[in-house]
Amino acid sequence: MLAKAAQLPKDVAPSRDLWPGIAARLGEAQGAPAKPAFRWPLALAAALAVASVSALLTWSLLQDSQPAQPAVVADVGTTAGEFVPVSYGPNSGLSAEELAVRDDLAAQFRGAFEDLRPETREAVVKNLAVMQAAADEIDAALAKHPASGMLKGMLFGTYKQEMQLYSTVVTARDGLTRRT
Amino acid sequence: MPAPLADSGAELVTRASRGDSGAFEALYRQHVGRVYGLCLRMTGQPESAEDLTQDTFVNAWRSLPGYEGRSSFSTWLHRIAVNAVLAKRRSRQGRNEVSMTDEAGEQMEFEVEAAMDEATPIDIERAIAGLPAGARDIVVLHGIYGYSHEEAA
Repeated sequence: MLAKAAQLPKDVAPSRDLWPGIAARLGEAQGAPAKPAFRWPLALAAALAVASVSALLTWSLLQDSQPAQPAVVADVGTTAGEFVPVSYGPNSGLSAEELAVRDDLAAQFRGAFEDLRPETREAVVKNLAVMQAAADEIDAALAKHPASGMLKGMLFGTYKQEMQLYSTVVTARDGLTRRT
Repeated sequence: MPAPLADSGAELVTRASRGDSGAFEALYRQHVGRVYGLCLRMTGQPESAEDLTQDTFVNAWRSLPGYEGRSSFSTWLHRIAVNAVLAKRRSRQGRNEVSMTDEAGEQMEFEVEAAMDEATPIDIERAIAGLPAGARDIVVLHGIYGYSHEEAA
């Protein structure tokens, strides 16, 4: 009997298409296959954090006639006091020209940075760390969704926030009083 | 080992494991015949076999993140199908089934064997469907789908 059975066709077509029923259940399945990590919410949160802390820092700098009220920033464990420009990942889509403009402004900022009060310097460094975290999150999300206009916009928003930070400090430098 | 199936290639499996239901449908189209055939022959009931085939693919979809590619996709899918059939059989209180070692089962198998010489494929299918569950599993898994005796047991 086994020998006879071995000659039977292995495939048997069902009498109806079973896929629609399966597809309906896949939609309901809680344990659907691991879809790519959907990082947009994280990236969005990071971008919003950048916007909020940058606004606070800008306000703090412009109100600098009063001593030390460092901007409220997220605690990202950064060592205070060291200025490090944001590093954008390979998926950022930023052009060489945009990065060159940023580098030029960052160079001007570096001089002004030394004139800031220590607490303001610390706030600036922490803001930049928040921007770096946002850039990293968005870059990781862009690696999986390279065509996403939303993510590109968020990344460019981070870039603009960084530029605004440098610009604000450089512009206000003459008005800032060194208080150490 | 079950007889190797024509796997669709790593690409479809990879895409499906990433949540691409279109790729998973393509895998379904490629494998449904064999999965359904297995379920039909193990249950002997077309309606149950259809339900079990659907269960098999839904379970496969859910389990795809854990599929590591150690065996071929078809082998892995077969295992899910066999487990689905056995689970359903257990849930139906398999005590009503006649085991291969039961006296009645042995007698039935002997009678079937005696009628095999002139049997057509349809006769063989009927004969297999008429076997007690344990004997039927052996014939289906070992005889048709190429499992070893140990795997079929």
